[in-house]
Amino acid sequence: MEWAKEWDAAEAHPAGQEDGELLKVIASTGGKGGVGKSTFAILLAHKLANEGNKVVLCDCDVECPNDHLLLGTELGERQEILQDFPELVEEKCIKCGTCFRVCRENAIFWVEGKTPQFIEDLCIGCGACEIACPAKAIVGSKKTTGESFVSKVSDGFWLVTGISKVGISETGPVVGAVKERAVKLAEDKGADYLLVDTAPGTHCSVVAALLGCEKVYAVTEPTPLGEYDLRLILDLAKRLKIPAEVVLNKADVGPKEKTDEIAGAAGSRIGFEIPYSEELVSAYCNKELEKVVGLLCEL
Amino acid sequence: MLASALAMLYAKENKVVACDCDADAPNLGLWLGVEDYDSVEKVSTSSRAVIDYGKCVNCGKCAETCRFNAIKMQEGKPVANYFLCEGCGACELVCPQKAITMKSVQNGAVRVRRNASGIPLYSGQLFPGETGSGKIVEEIRKRAEKEEHEVMVLDAAAGIGCPVIASVRGCDRAVLVTEPTPSGLADLKRALTLVEHFNLPYQLVVNKWDANKETTAAIEEEFGEKVIGKLSYDRKVIDSIVRLKPILESDSKVVGEIKAVFQRLQSP
Repeated sequence: MEWAKEWDAAEAHPAGQEDGELLKVIASTGGKGGVGKSTFAILLAHKLANEGNKVVLCDCDVECPNDHLLLGTELGERQEILQDFPELVEEKCIKCGTCFRVCRENAIFWVEGKTPQFIEDLCIGCGACEIACPAKAIVGSKKTTGESFVSKVSDGFWLVTGISKVGISETGPVVGAVKERAVKLAEDKGADYLLVDTAPGTHCSVVAALLGCEKVYAVTEPTPLGEYDLRLILDLAKRLKIPAEVVLNKADVGPKEKTDEIAGAAGSRIGFEIPYSEELVSAYCNKELEKVVGLLCEL
Repeated sequence: MLASALAMLYAKENKVVACDCDADAPNLGLWLGVEDYDSVEKVSTSSRAVIDYGKCVNCGKCAETCRFNAIKMQEGKPVANYFLCEGCGACELVCPQKAITMKSVQNGAVRVRRNASGIPLYSGQLFPGETGSGKIVEEIRKRAEKEEHEVMVLDAAAGIGCPVIASVRGCDRAVLVTEPTPSGLADLKRALTLVEHFNLPYQLVVNKWDANKETTAAIEEEFGEKVIGKLSYDRKVIDSIVRLKPILESDSKVVGEIKAVFQRLQSP
């Protein structure tokens, strides 16, 4: 892609696994919403568990987590995810407007001579205003940005679910916290695999989920929509220096030549195919995906 | 799909501008039958911390301050992770040696197609891995606003994070599309809290309604009058997109169903 030239100039850190060689950390992602990331992640988790592996599945689509619903699993032990957000101590405020000037998110509204107004929807909780305030009138106050849950799906198969609080715009840090909990759980349980199910897209919360993975499965479908978004995801994986393989979902609804071509051009290949079938749709709706693991076709 | 069809239906009697607010995976153009754009403008709505090691004394204050774990001490030196850096500038403010500068990065592009099935289309592309998806959406909307129009149809991203917030803020109404599956329902409820947070009047459309008629019935029961249409699962929809033909040009029964949704949107 033409604009890819900009990236090479950026100082990117290899985002692959640094340690924990015994634990394989693998992501299921895909730019397009509804393409089958969660379906694939769950089918793969069941397949690996059936083969005798200990598996932790981490649902990092914290804005709209679905894995617990598709597995029919009750959410287990809850933990709150907290982040500092600025609070103004009005008596100390000297109305200088420094906070307004340093905020890069336009989350502070200020009129000369008045106290600043903090716009919660836009604030990412970076703390720049707290640091810059000459009167030390802004303090960090912990607020809940989300929650994580650990649930047991079956023997040797656990699910970690992250849910961000509605209205939080920056969900990257929530994903980071959920993953941390999943890695710890995987280490405690001596898991063989940690599967990370990401959100759709290519933005920071997806990147937060992919960092530290040793392999990425890019789920797509044989339509122009799937093809366009596959290119983006493969470019992202390349940028993060994580090897990627393609999973072609609804494999028989359209021609797969373009998908093959896109995968090949990115130095990748189609690793799995899942046919479109009424059986799968029914299993999906009835939360019985374990019954259709056989539909996962490894190439 | 629905956004593209509604844009085309509104365009029969109104001046319309179409806005693809899914900067991560922009697909609206494809549904309007276009793959190319008349203009592509790279934009910069975010920045990254760059450390000058000539000035840095390895005090670690930046690593301590960063709330996004984007700076880690490695072998005694602070190292900034490009992908975790949110570009907030807190480290630049806190560094006693003034060794950190925030450098602007081109994190995306805004694209315009003057005629996408008869409608001007504003779209964008966040460069994969970059931050600031929501700000790219804001840039797309700023430019689309300048286009003379009576109706703007915005196709939002999936989820409820910053790009969706940027899409929904300031709109007059929302049409939420769902599907009768456990995930469809759960995600609908999340999206609704966001729409309600912005006090937007809204209506619902159930896509692929016949894939699970019981769940569709449950949705209709729960949301009543808010449900203004049901679109069938039809392979002809996939055939349409595979051939890059707008859905309204197909002979799928979904076309009639979409027109019924459009009619409902006209009534007060």
